Amino acid sequence: MAIRPGGELATRPLHFIWIADCSGSMSTDGKIQALNNAIREALPLMRSVADDNPNAEVLVRALRFSGGAEWHVKPTPIGEFKWTDLRAHGQTDLGYALNMVAEELRIPPMSERALPPVLVLISDGQPSDDYIGGLEALMHEPWGKKAVRIAIAIGEDADTDVLQQFIGHPDLKPLQANNPEALVRHIKWVSTAVLKSASSPASQAAGVPLLTHMPLPALPPASDPTLVDDVW
Amino acid sequence: MHQLLPLGTTVQSASGHPCTVETFLGGGGQGEVYRANLVDRVLALKWYFPEQATPAQRNNLEVLIRKGPPSAPFLWPLELAAADDFPGFGYLMPLREPHYKGLVDLMKRRTEPTFRALATAGMQLAQAFLDLHTQGLCYRDISFGNVFFDPETGAIQVCDNDNVAIDRAVDSGVLGTPRFIAPEVVRGEAAPSTQTDLFSLSVLLFYLLHIHHPLEGRREAEIKCFDLPAMNRLYGDEPLFIFDPHDEGNRPVPGLHDNALAYWPLYPQSLRDLFTRAFTAGLHDPEERVRESEWRAALGQLRDTIRHCEHCGAENFHDVGRPADEPFACWHCDQGLAPPLRLRLGREQVVLNRDTELFPHHLDRLRRYDFGAPLASVQPHPQHPQIWGLNNRSATTWVITTAEGTTRDVEPGRSLTLAAGVKIRFGNLEGEIHR
Ligand SMILES: Nc1ncnc2c1ncn2[C@@H]1O[C@H](COP(=O)(O)OP(=O)(O)O)[C@@H](O)[C@H]1O
Ligand SMILES: [Mg+2]
Repeated sequence: MAIRPGGELATRPLHFIWIADCSGSMSTDGKIQALNNAIREALPLMRSVADDNPNAEVLVRALRFSGGAEWHVKPTPIGEFKWTDLRAHGQTDLGYALNMVAEELRIPPMSERALPPVLVLISDGQPSDDYIGGLEALMHEPWGKKAVRIAIAIGEDADTDVLQQFIGHPDLKPLQANNPEALVRHIKWVSTAVLKSASSPASQAAGVPLLTHMPLPALPPASDPTLVDDVW
Repeated sequence: MHQLLPLGTTVQSASGHPCTVETFLGGGGQGEVYRANLVDRVLALKWYFPEQATPAQRNNLEVLIRKGPPSAPFLWPLELAAADDFPGFGYLMPLREPHYKGLVDLMKRRTEPTFRALATAGMQLAQAFLDLHTQGLCYRDISFGNVFFDPETGAIQVCDNDNVAIDRAVDSGVLGTPRFIAPEVVRGEAAPSTQTDLFSLSVLLFYLLHIHHPLEGRREAEIKCFDLPAMNRLYGDEPLFIFDPHDEGNRPVPGLHDNALAYWPLYPQSLRDLFTRAFTAGLHDPEERVRESEWRAALGQLRDTIRHCEHCGAENFHDVGRPADEPFACWHCDQGLAPPLRLRLGREQVVLNRDTELFPHHLDRLRRYDFGAPLASVQPHPQHPQIWGLNNRSATTWVITTAEGTTRDVEPGRSLTLAAGVKIRFGNLEGEIHR
């Protein structure tokens, strides 16, 4: 009879947080639709990466910000995570958003023991509020400092300096998405390769750059370079 | 999901045959693997990402293809493949059989094999890496993702052989998978080699039998953010075995490391001693590591010590080193268990359960580790099902001597009644049944 004691391999929580710009400008040129689509496309891949990972319990949530900010999806085990469409209107209150993320990264509600959280900031514009204050609040939290912070710039108008400050690492640049195809590619990369490396870095070659305390895998090249024009 | 080859694409094998891409199987760090059809054979095709399709990788594959697989469980590169319309190259290998499960499935309890199947899988793994190392090759990335097993039988298959290389000859840059990498490699003092493979194998075997990592105890519990510096400390700079007999500083923490606490006491002392050596002396001195042949022997014996609880059926291990008069209770139902009927063969013992089979491994000194066709099996008497016997499934006649001293022949197909004191001559070796 197949009876053996014990349970599953012990895991640690891995918090994955989408921080999505839902300001008015995101409603132009189908940007917000492209973002909704890209996240939906990436979800099955994210699920299968989490499924193959015995060391992490992946919890996903999403914060939308425009005039103020609100939790769009509460922390949800990846197996049950469903995406509901984001809608765009209003300001770009990034500072407000980062303050809300900082509150969630405080201990509690965060547990003392975890894997480094992954924060993915997606924006197409300029913050309309005191984003420096928000960033300071975030970096004041130990989990904020330890987080793997990734930023995706949608279109040419995104303020990459702000995104760079969020990343806080000169070697890691914001990912530029000038068209829906690139956005899908970047979103897939963060939901698979970054998710993987934040919990159990895969077999790696020597000399992989150490960013935010975790080695980040190379971004795959654009499969069709002609698509990288600005087609928003 | 895949991006390198569209389904339906035809690539050319090095031998000049067309090979059609049928379905996508999975992506990894180096490339993508597809199910493919080569003339009338179904195979797996791995295609490299452009930046991984290097001349060094191609040379290594050519060497491996020329050498051929060390043994059957290796899903070894068969031949290279190329395509006019797609950059880079790939290689063909046998397809993994669908009923094989990954070790991640075992860790997540998506498959529940018996202890017997797990001990068998461990023994086969040790055998496979012994065969590989005997060829002068090292694997460098022994880990969860590359090993698969049949949860019914414990048979194994080893994937992802393209980084295998002549020991210490080529520096592929592959360091291995975190948690499996030997401490000296984590610290950057050594490159992967056969000696570091031995460490990774020990970790894999510990995971297999404990669903837990051998170095994750109190020191892991005290880590808040489990990031790379923390991992380097735990697995590289300050590794300490959770059951180190001389240092209790890293014991499993109840509530966090329960699997380690649940499994460790179940196993025979001799196996625990081997793990202890692997993760105490072997942690710091590669020459002290447990060799594949030692693991193979220990896990082969582990299979033979399994005894079913007569109350609940759970598998327990009969520790031959434990004093016979020491009370023993089933780990699952907690009821007392008397010592089981065993067959003593030289220094070894095989517990005789209702489903025990004896292989050439047990009965022929010249055919150790041959678990092919069984030579004997425990069976009930056809008319008196409460009487159990050992059926001669070999081609040679056995001779038994009963406790009273009479001798009898047991021709092929016949059985002898299991009773303490009976001696059996099986060709070149003698056994005795005892309790
Ligand atoms: N021979 C095979 N048969 C079936 N599936 C395979 C085979 N080889 C690899 N795979 C699957 O393909 C995926 C990627 O393979 P892997 O060898 O791990 O790639 P990488 O070395 O690039 O990380 C994995 O999901 C693996 O299980
Ligand atoms: Mg590989």
